[in-house]
Amino acid sequence: MNNSKSNNHADFYGFLAQSFRYPEQAWLGEPYFDLLDSIVQNLDLDNDTLGLRQTYCANQEGLEILQIEYTRLFINATPSVIAPPYSSVYLDQEGNLYGPSAVWVRRFYQQNGFELAGDADIPDHLALELEFIALLIDEHQEEVAEQFLNEHFRRWFPLFRARVLSGSTNKFYSTLLTLVDFFTREEP
Amino acid sequence: MAFQMTRRSFLQASASAALTTALSGWLVSGAQAKSGFVRKPFTAPGSFGDTTTVSGSFCEMCFWRCQLVGKLRDGKLVKLEGNPKSVDNGVSICARGNAGVKLLYDQDRLKYPLKNVGKRGAPVWKRISWDEALDECASRLQGVIKNNGAQGIAMFPHGCSATYPMHYFEHVVGTPNVSEASFFQCRGPRDMAYLNTLGVQADESVDMPNAKAILLVGTHIGENIHVSHVKQYLKGLENGAKLIVIDPRFSSSASKADIWVQIKPGTDTAFLLAIMNYLVKKGAYDKAYVQKNGEGFDKFTKAIAHADLDWAAKICDVPAAQIKEVADLLAKNAPHVSIHPGRHVTWYGNDFQRERALACLTGLLGAIGVKGGFVKGKGPKLANVSWPNIAGEHAEEFALHKKAEKHVFSPPGTPTQMLRDAAISNKPYPINACIAWGQNPIQTIPGQQDTIKMLQKMDFVMVVDVMPTDITMYADILLPELSYLERYDYFVKSGVQWNLNDKHQQYIAPRTPLVSSLSADHQRKDSVWITNELAKRMGHAEHIPAATTEELLDKVLAGGNISLAQIKKENGIHLQPGSDPYGVSYPVKFFNDELADAGYPGVPNYTPVPEPPKGFARLVYGRVPVHTFNRSQNNVWLNAEMPENPIWLNHETAHKLGLKSGDRVNLVNQDGVISATTSILKVTQGIRKDTIFTAHGYGTKNPAMTNAANKGIDDQALITKPAVDPETGAHGMRTSFVRIMKDGKVLNIPV
Repeated sequence: MNNSKSNNHADFYGFLAQSFRYPEQAWLGEPYFDLLDSIVQNLDLDNDTLGLRQTYCANQEGLEILQIEYTRLFINATPSVIAPPYSSVYLDQEGNLYGPSAVWVRRFYQQNGFELAGDADIPDHLALELEFIALLIDEHQEEVAEQFLNEHFRRWFPLFRARVLSGSTNKFYSTLLTLVDFFTREEP
Repeated sequence: MAFQMTRRSFLQASASAALTTALSGWLVSGAQAKSGFVRKPFTAPGSFGDTTTVSGSFCEMCFWRCQLVGKLRDGKLVKLEGNPKSVDNGVSICARGNAGVKLLYDQDRLKYPLKNVGKRGAPVWKRISWDEALDECASRLQGVIKNNGAQGIAMFPHGCSATYPMHYFEHVVGTPNVSEASFFQCRGPRDMAYLNTLGVQADESVDMPNAKAILLVGTHIGENIHVSHVKQYLKGLENGAKLIVIDPRFSSSASKADIWVQIKPGTDTAFLLAIMNYLVKKGAYDKAYVQKNGEGFDKFTKAIAHADLDWAAKICDVPAAQIKEVADLLAKNAPHVSIHPGRHVTWYGNDFQRERALACLTGLLGAIGVKGGFVKGKGPKLANVSWPNIAGEHAEEFALHKKAEKHVFSPPGTPTQMLRDAAISNKPYPINACIAWGQNPIQTIPGQQDTIKMLQKMDFVMVVDVMPTDITMYADILLPELSYLERYDYFVKSGVQWNLNDKHQQYIAPRTPLVSSLSADHQRKDSVWITNELAKRMGHAEHIPAATTEELLDKVLAGGNISLAQIKKENGIHLQPGSDPYGVSYPVKFFNDELADAGYPGVPNYTPVPEPPKGFARLVYGRVPVHTFNRSQNNVWLNAEMPENPIWLNHETAHKLGLKSGDRVNLVNQDGVISATTSILKVTQGIRKDTIFTAHGYGTKNPAMTNAANKGIDDQALITKPAVDPETGAHGMRTSFVRIMKDGKVLNIPV
């Protein structure tokens, strides 16, 4: 019982990690939006997930809008990227990638038995950090996950979230940021 | 938003049927991305944090190409150093070289192929796949070829990675319209002048460590940092060489000079002619060398006979006695004198003649193949491997300068001004596609408005780069390249030990990656891969010379009987015995028949350049040690060192205008163009009253360059009336006249 419940929890984080990868038709299908609906409903949020489904699910035009928005928010943009999804940009003085906080994150992954798949992967990408939490919870290491959230994630995610919200009105990402906040915030 | 629910209660409720169904439905759909992690037991690193040293490669923060090692800690590049095996830069690299680490992890770097779904100049980017990007590039380029011929493609390449695609577009596709900034906005006049005087490339082949006197005309070593070159220069000074610096500004070299000639800008050739005329008249030249190797010496002496000391003194605004002093000092120390050819020499649009004069002076002093003179190290042999030249004839036929019978002594490629004019006017034929590969033509080419006009009229613009430079804003398709630290390159740095007087050694150093590029964070590729994929789509698969950069490199290295694998074993640099470079002599064409036949002066001559209008000073520019013009501006360390380019203004002028150091000012040019940004004023005795100096390459416009955007003044934007060198077609870029604007008020520069 405990076991299946715990795995369940891990999957929510896996879902959030997936949500911050580049939007592609392959994963933005009905099952994705079914789950998104269900989570939002269970949380009693008033976010319009039906609208999101209509705009982005199996809709080439909508998908393209989301891809352009993702590119603008997180990859490359003119005038400038709104919110690079890496902790170093928010926590480390120079605003470069792979700063001290990213080094800390990588060491934390390693200490817990995980290594990045790509030799040159940047450790502190939002999607990677969320996936890492999913992996920990899947292994019943909730305390380690809490330590990661407490010592690292919560220090930068609010700054990142604020930058996205101040530079974008996109409902998909604002909804997901709300969910990430819910699943990562400190609770008494 | 306040949640009604805590996470705990939500997770407890997650057993709810609907949520469970949705969750398992999503899991079953299998649409989750591949995991970003692998499992690996932790082994605690030692106190050095698993730091490893990777040897090999060479720097590309500038183009001097110092050989490197990288220090990696747990896969992250933490430091760059000179390769201890290097006989060139040795263990030293400069500030820019050190800061390469920060290019690697620059958050603004290009990451994926992008398609512009907005407008050129105001792009909206959509990430696309490589297949989609390459398919589109190929079909759009083929469209232009179909309608306009291969000559309808213009290309602006720069750097190691651009050579391979450049050869492809010239030799296989067949366009002559390739214009390299390294020639037409930098070295072109020098290279062509030396080739047509001494018959060899100039490079910076002066044996400064062993010189008794060094002459620098405008060259400002110290602010211009190329490590082994600086070592040569400093070794020369340490050994007691007399230093003569000709510069309107108290440059870092001027500060070390025995004689500083504070010349009026634009008059250097008159100065050089007067020195040569004086030496000839006095008989204080190397008669034996000239007699043996000189061509057209009589015509030469006759043609410069008018150039006496007083004539030059008046033109150059320096005392005749000082010109004489320089000439005597050179004669006294000849032939062991380094007459420096310069590097960035595209100044006034008469630069070929000045460079010819420098080469002639070198010959006149017999300073060739002797200690301290013009000496070329004998480097190793390597194979020449590239695309086959199947369309060269077509390219030749459509070469603009050849059709127009202009710029007969152009360096390879097409003079930029002609290319841009043709593209804008569709005459003599339409040019409708543009490729920028590693070059940022917005910042490299003067006359920005025309460059933008050219870009706007194109049917297709493709840009390949590492950073979102200004040109990238005009791309239809923007392709991200791996940086020099992560890739192999179609380039092998080779040469000889930095001091020709030391044990003779040759070195071969190919570019190899110091860090892995395997990452889910980007899809950057190297230029050989990009070009090959493009060639396949354009029907040229059969001509591809090598499938990968490694294979290509191995073929190049095979010419030197060495392999990539072997060089890797040898820590990135292969050393082999060299030979004595001294004792060589070159012919000196004091009078050049080919030049005369083509209607150019056969003997170096001085053509006056336009004077500043009343109230204006001439804008000259140069380098700073912590930047490579525009290329390094976004680097967070270098930006912190020198975020802006100070505007040098004469102290008396400043006093009259009520200006002081630290004031924020704009510059306004003779056409009323106001710099888009301000910079800080540097009030100094070290500059002439008729001259204003600043560093080149500042004022990036693309806000996607987070650190660089709008910092300092873009001097290129003020160069609205570039000159064009008649012989080479290269630009002259110290042709602008400016006034100072403070708090919106334009101030005239007093005479």
